[in-house]
Amino acid sequence: MDIDYILLIPALLPFAAALTMNAKPLKSTGPRRFFLVSVLVLELIFTAVSAFAVRGTVTLFALDESLSVSFRIDGLGRIFSLLVAVMWLLSGLFSQEYMAHEENTGRYYVFLLLSQGALMLLTYAANYLTMYLGFEFMTLLSAPLALHTQTDAARRGGFKYLFYSVFGACLGLFGFFVLHTYGLSTVFTPGGVLDPARTVGHEGLITAAAFLSVIGFGAKAGMFPLHAWLPAAHPEAPAGASALLSGVITKAGVLSVIRVVYYQFGADFLRGTWAQYTWLALTLITVFLGSMLAYKEKLFKKRLAYSTVSQVSYILFGLALLEPTAFTGAVLHVVVHSAIKNCLFFTAGAVILKTGKKDVRELRGIGKEMPITMWCFTLCSLGLVGIPPLGGFVSKWYLAQGSLASGIPIFSWLGPVTLLVSALLTAGYLFPITVSAFLPGSNFDYSAVQRREPTRWITVPLLILTALTLITGLFPGIITSVASTVAGTLC
Amino acid sequence: MNDYILLVPILLPFFSAFPIYIVGRRSKRTRDILAETAGCAEFAACAILLALALGGNELTLAIPNVCGRGIYLKLDCFRAIYALIAALMWMMTTLFSREYLAHYRNRNRYYLFTLLTCGATVGVLLSNDLFTTFIFFEIMSFTSYVMVVQDEKPGAMRAGETYIAVAVIGGMVMLMGLLLLENRLGTLYFDELHTEATTMADVSELYLPGALILFGFGAKAGMFPLHIWLPKAHPVAPAPASALLSGILTKTGVFGIIVLTSGVFLHDALWGNIILALGVVTMVLGAVLAVFSVDLKRTLACSSMSQIGFILIGIGVQALLGHHNTLALWGTGLHMVNHSMLKLVLFMCAGVVYMNLHKLDLNDIRGWGRNKPFLNFCFLMGTLGITGVPLWNGYVSKTLLHESIVEYIALAPSPGIYRAVEWLFLISGGLTAAYMAKLYIAIFVEKPVKPFEEPKKWYIGTKSALAIGIPALCLPVMGMFPSPLMEGIARHMQGFMDWESPDAAVKWFSLTNLRGAAVSLTIGAAVYFLVVRTLLMRRDEKGVKYYVNRWPTRLDLEEILYRPLIQRLLPFLGALVCRVLDNLTDWTVALLNNTVLRRKPIPPSSDADFEPGDFTPQIKRSYTLQRISGSISYSLLLFGAGFCAAMVYLIIILISK
Repeated sequence: MDIDYILLIPALLPFAAALTMNAKPLKSTGPRRFFLVSVLVLELIFTAVSAFAVRGTVTLFALDESLSVSFRIDGLGRIFSLLVAVMWLLSGLFSQEYMAHEENTGRYYVFLLLSQGALMLLTYAANYLTMYLGFEFMTLLSAPLALHTQTDAARRGGFKYLFYSVFGACLGLFGFFVLHTYGLSTVFTPGGVLDPARTVGHEGLITAAAFLSVIGFGAKAGMFPLHAWLPAAHPEAPAGASALLSGVITKAGVLSVIRVVYYQFGADFLRGTWAQYTWLALTLITVFLGSMLAYKEKLFKKRLAYSTVSQVSYILFGLALLEPTAFTGAVLHVVVHSAIKNCLFFTAGAVILKTGKKDVRELRGIGKEMPITMWCFTLCSLGLVGIPPLGGFVSKWYLAQGSLASGIPIFSWLGPVTLLVSALLTAGYLFPITVSAFLPGSNFDYSAVQRREPTRWITVPLLILTALTLITGLFPGIITSVASTVAGTLC
Repeated sequence: MNDYILLVPILLPFFSAFPIYIVGRRSKRTRDILAETAGCAEFAACAILLALALGGNELTLAIPNVCGRGIYLKLDCFRAIYALIAALMWMMTTLFSREYLAHYRNRNRYYLFTLLTCGATVGVLLSNDLFTTFIFFEIMSFTSYVMVVQDEKPGAMRAGETYIAVAVIGGMVMLMGLLLLENRLGTLYFDELHTEATTMADVSELYLPGALILFGFGAKAGMFPLHIWLPKAHPVAPAPASALLSGILTKTGVFGIIVLTSGVFLHDALWGNIILALGVVTMVLGAVLAVFSVDLKRTLACSSMSQIGFILIGIGVQALLGHHNTLALWGTGLHMVNHSMLKLVLFMCAGVVYMNLHKLDLNDIRGWGRNKPFLNFCFLMGTLGITGVPLWNGYVSKTLLHESIVEYIALAPSPGIYRAVEWLFLISGGLTAAYMAKLYIAIFVEKPVKPFEEPKKWYIGTKSALAIGIPALCLPVMGMFPSPLMEGIARHMQGFMDWESPDAAVKWFSLTNLRGAAVSLTIGAAVYFLVVRTLLMRRDEKGVKYYVNRWPTRLDLEEILYRPLIQRLLPFLGALVCRVLDNLTDWTVALLNNTVLRRKPIPPSSDADFEPGDFTPQIKRSYTLQRISGSISYSLLLFGAGFCAAMVYLIIILISK
């Protein structure tokens, strides 16, 4: 037995666990909690083990010679799979308290595990088909999380999510057909798979297909023009799930875009084409649009969702530059934003859970009641703005530096300017929350303050995420060393 | 490994801050003692660094990979002296805070953020790479915000808003500048800036990044037109915090401008003229605002702005003078040191007034200082120092700055402009004398209009008295022995960047130099008696004169321009565009749904004549047609079709012509 087959454990464990989740002995809270947490911990352990042990490709089954479902771990897969496993574990812990008084928790946990399984398939995918499979699974299996509360808004948001994602996947499928015709294979190969002999004369079609795939998979990452599902769906899910939808599942869209652009069509093919410039323009529009609307938004979770729209497009902007430094920054920002956005959604969830307040204008003095929660919120929001030495700063530095170094006319300077304007807006929509939370004003009634800090199920994940933000800010080398090696082979 | 000692004064406050915060939740007394110990330890650490630097050691520390690009620190005499002054200010203000803050809420928070700010400030001053500078600079900006809004009153919150907005915007603009600079020079390392800049083919490419970085540092220094936070934030912050903001935080901005000027733009005349012009505006505007102000701390804040203008002039002239710029350099460095010390004393004196009376308006505190010889002495020392009276420290640095302007007049291609600068310099010196005289006479000479409602006994504790008294005593000592003390400091400071040695020894108390001071003081006396005592005072019905602020309140750059622009206009426009873009896809889908893809079944009619299954084709047709022609989408479709036809028609006409 080959050691590489160990890879199948993290890929399939969540599915297996999800199927046993509804077994009779697991119906009551205690055993279910134990089962869920141990599955998530095991998943993390196996992910870590396979990340470092597995070197080869594992084929599950083959449809024909050119189409197979097979898995592999490369540098990106290592980062993304570990990210997924860690975030799912933290969200699982968080949900223990958050979901305590919700209904249908069994269903929630089942789909939580199923969507993790789908994400693992996607991160381990060795070719386009497997990735596409994972992508569709992920859409279908994570939609019930958005639909969970079954309110009208949740249903609207959930169906919007499905509609946009499926439409995006269709565009991606078009890319797949084109690649299958003009490429040597659909296995992910650094630098692309296009066959020069076959592409001659069809550059227009292939460029269009690449562009449409980017738009399609970009829908998952909330890129304009297919971003509108995100602020509708994310806030409606329970906080633990919105954190994952915003923090991790959007990154699956990013990973798909990376795979399609850098491993299928190839960076060299797209460099300098109209597709690259249009893509750059779309990402910059999204960056500005997301933060502007977040600035205007008053609902806490919706504000965070708009913020995700903006922040994930920072990453896409870095990818669209097709430049190694920017690529490194983009990958770093994937991790940083994931940690930060999870933390912010967890805090929003904790506030809603403990006080029922959903509007940012009602949060006056909340820092006196939930100090640990709001401290984590503050540090993470500083990170999101990009204040050194916290996480977001270094990734933005790389992105902007890469942009200037790329030498693309207009975009090379417009990019950093947009990023900085967006950072200002980010400060504008996050700091007032912190300020009113901790500095309620001299006429604040301190006698009404009561301790509302959530239990350790919530505070520990928050602290871990905040620590992660700080660590990625101080020692980004952990991720950039891997990312820049990958970038070297791609650009 | 020895070089890691450079981290001590930065990390000591960082790591002592949190334990002190935690201890403070249990015991206020222990917290106070610990905070004071931390302040003194910081001072000791910086003193050791200075001793090392004076001993000829040039320590450099590189910690690669931290924060992506690594942290680079360096110790030379300039940095050591300034770090020591920073530490001195922190020690003294911490000693003073205990009494001043006795009745404040959230004191733990204050100590926590003061210490964090302290560490970051020392970090800025020790940095040897603009990236490192930026990191500490941003930390400093954010932690000091909490010091400004300490009492959380509406005024403080509003001022804090201004402060943080200026800091964030300044920081972002500066970041853009740093990115561009690195892109063009390939380095941000201080020691390499100059060599890289001289090898540039086209130096003009550096002006844009330079201007952006100047924006960021200038915002912190209080340079026009980014000075708006200074007169707002200082009066509302607790006095020890005001002293720090004014005395040392503004200097970090100046530090950055010096780095730019003597690194990237060494001896660049255009750059020098820009800095000089901005400096002149800042200097005059600050002084005029200070003369008008009737609030003790606001006057001091405007005065800070004005003094920063003096320093900027020094920086500008040093760029203009080229290789013979020693006087300007000395003047710049010494005026930084002097201003820090002066504002430390003056703001703490203002703090003593405020902690007893809780008032700052000159009409309310008038005469309170009578019969308080200690406070009188300290404030007088500060007044004489900042005014530039010979034998006090301000005189030394102002003389140097004045001399350097005079020196440049002789060399300048168009001396007329610089002669005007000289006169504005002297007039601003005069205005300084006028507003300080206004403060001093109001508090210590005039009789109170009505008796104070204060508890008679309490005035100032021993520790606070020491914290104010010691720096106050330094002022005349520094001024009386310029050659050994001031010149010594200046000589040690000139090692920073490419500062050069003087051409000849400076005669401190020569007749020409004394004449400059005399001119200023005469102007000051004239302004005080002719303007302040007449135009800026009014008699009430009882015939008692009182101070009025005749500066039109509407005339405020922040209220006229910045706030409407940033809070209303830009977000409105941005949101308008973004809302449209945001809904674009949804609208497209809705449009398609209601036209091409019309999926909704037509609701059954309420018409009694109509029965399903029993209709003639004619009825059905008319019904459907009626439904469709009545819908908005149908109208839109027709409109669109008509529009297209009109367009096609126009195009055909255009083409045929």
